[in-house]
Amino acid sequence: MKFKNISTIRTIVLVSLATAGLALMAGCSNNGSGSKPAAKKTAKTAAIWPLAIKDPAKTETGAQIWSENCMRCHQLRSPSQYTPAQWGVIVQYMRLKAGLTGEQARKVLAFLKSASAH
Amino acid sequence: MGKRITLPLLLAAAVAATTVGNVRAADSSNYQQLQKKYSVLKSQMQAMQQQMAHMQKQMAAQQKQMKAVQQAAPSINERATRRAIKRLSRQVMKLSEKEAALEPGNIQVLIAGDVNVQFQNKSGGNSTFYADSSPMIQVRIDKKIFVNTAFDFYTASGQAGGSAADIGAANINYELGDYMTVGGGLITSPIGGIVGNYNPAPWNRWLVDGSLEDNLLPPNELGIWTRGGIPAPDNLGYLTYFLFVSNGPEFIGTSGVPNQLSYDNFTANQNAKTVGGRISYLPIPNVEIGYSAEWASPTNSGALTKSDSWIQAVDFNSYYFNKKIEGFVKFRGGWTWEQVGQGGILPGNPTSPPAFGNNSNGGQIDVAYQPSMCGIKYLDKMMVAFRYDRTDGPVTGVQTSGAMHEQRYSVGLDYWLHSNAVLKFEYEFDNVPDQHGSDAMFMQFAVGI
Repeated sequence: MKFKNISTIRTIVLVSLATAGLALMAGCSNNGSGSKPAAKKTAKTAAIWPLAIKDPAKTETGAQIWSENCMRCHQLRSPSQYTPAQWGVIVQYMRLKAGLTGEQARKVLAFLKSASAH
Repeated sequence: MGKRITLPLLLAAAVAATTVGNVRAADSSNYQQLQKKYSVLKSQMQAMQQQMAHMQKQMAAQQKQMKAVQQAAPSINERATRRAIKRLSRQVMKLSEKEAALEPGNIQVLIAGDVNVQFQNKSGGNSTFYADSSPMIQVRIDKKIFVNTAFDFYTASGQAGGSAADIGAANINYELGDYMTVGGGLITSPIGGIVGNYNPAPWNRWLVDGSLEDNLLPPNELGIWTRGGIPAPDNLGYLTYFLFVSNGPEFIGTSGVPNQLSYDNFTANQNAKTVGGRISYLPIPNVEIGYSAEWASPTNSGALTKSDSWIQAVDFNSYYFNKKIEGFVKFRGGWTWEQVGQGGILPGNPTSPPAFGNNSNGGQIDVAYQPSMCGIKYLDKMMVAFRYDRTDGPVTGVQTSGAMHEQRYSVGLDYWLHSNAVLKFEYEFDNVPDQHGSDAMFMQFAVGI
């Protein structure tokens, strides 16, 4: 594929990326912490901000998030392969790689720790 | 006689008549009085009835109020209790965090990574064994700070007795919230998604050999970034993002002639920087569609002025897991466009090499199937994989390394000993126009730690 005007395309993409970045940052700053009170806040921001956060992870179980997301990229590792403390490190790393939200990561970690301990 | 009788009779009749009249007159006056009394009493009773109805209404209203108060009272208490519990929970959490921070061993360290041993035999070349060990040291400083360092030690194929070491990652990450992490250092480039530069470790690849598309993508970025995942509006899945600024690539070449763009540049060449990122959308957890792009202004140490380097990629990653197919089938795919603009000759250096230009693209489709639910011993641990990949080299300008046009079909058979240990066999059919392609056979044993 050839690009006739590379600087135009470059400008479009950079502006798009910057906009997406700012939008996401704004979304995060509005609702950045999952522990914030938020149903009311979310409802308010939803009216004015298209990226108002309503995390579906709140209704999903840790086991569900673990099986659905991890399998997308690799074979499922048995919870018993690592200790609860080791899972703490692994989930923090995998949250970055897989782009999990904090809520998702916390639920997956709680599940793995509990399953690992039994 | 008759007169004597008649008179008293008449008198009696008269008396009687008078008496009756008197009685009648007395009755009528009593009746009137009674009527009056009755009407008074009736009006009194009506007034009382009205009063009673009013009082009943008041009582009903009071009862309603009482009920409302009775109902409200527990919820007010409940709310207050909930608030108190929340306050207490926060205090307990803070205290336990403080306590955990004071306990020895709160910094958690994990050594992970992977090791693989492989044998390969390419037509037109020598067969060889190959080994690679890539340890990772991951440190969880606390719930917000995470450090990752990765090395790569490998035998340098083709160099007698040679071995090499490389650094694959050295980065620090800080969680700003549920939806954002910032970081800096050396990290695997997000360009191309999982099919390219998330670069699954060998234990996690379905096939042994990397794809042709991988050659078009930068392996690492050295810079700063922000990344994370965020729910899409209206519960329509998730979005992920990874935006970065890193050191720019540089032109390298042989005999002073730049013919290749190198991303292994750990120092920003003449202040050149790369700006890029990847965004992806997951409508459901088992489907991910990504787009990534990066722009840089590469140059080299003296011969060329700055030029434009522009890479875009789309990627797709999904799986379908169902009893009907006795297991799961996975699909991955991607396409990368790479364009490098013309580099000018530096003023005052007429003998410098010619301008450099390069347009390349390439992609791949991968499919794998594992009948993990078939219930047949050994068969449930087998996975068959297929890949079609191709690359089209520079259309104009100086050619980069590798063939101008190449396409391959690869088939593989994997046997999973564990979820992190796999034996793989692969055969690769290679096609290069007007040339003999280098078909190749690979065997590998890979373990993820």
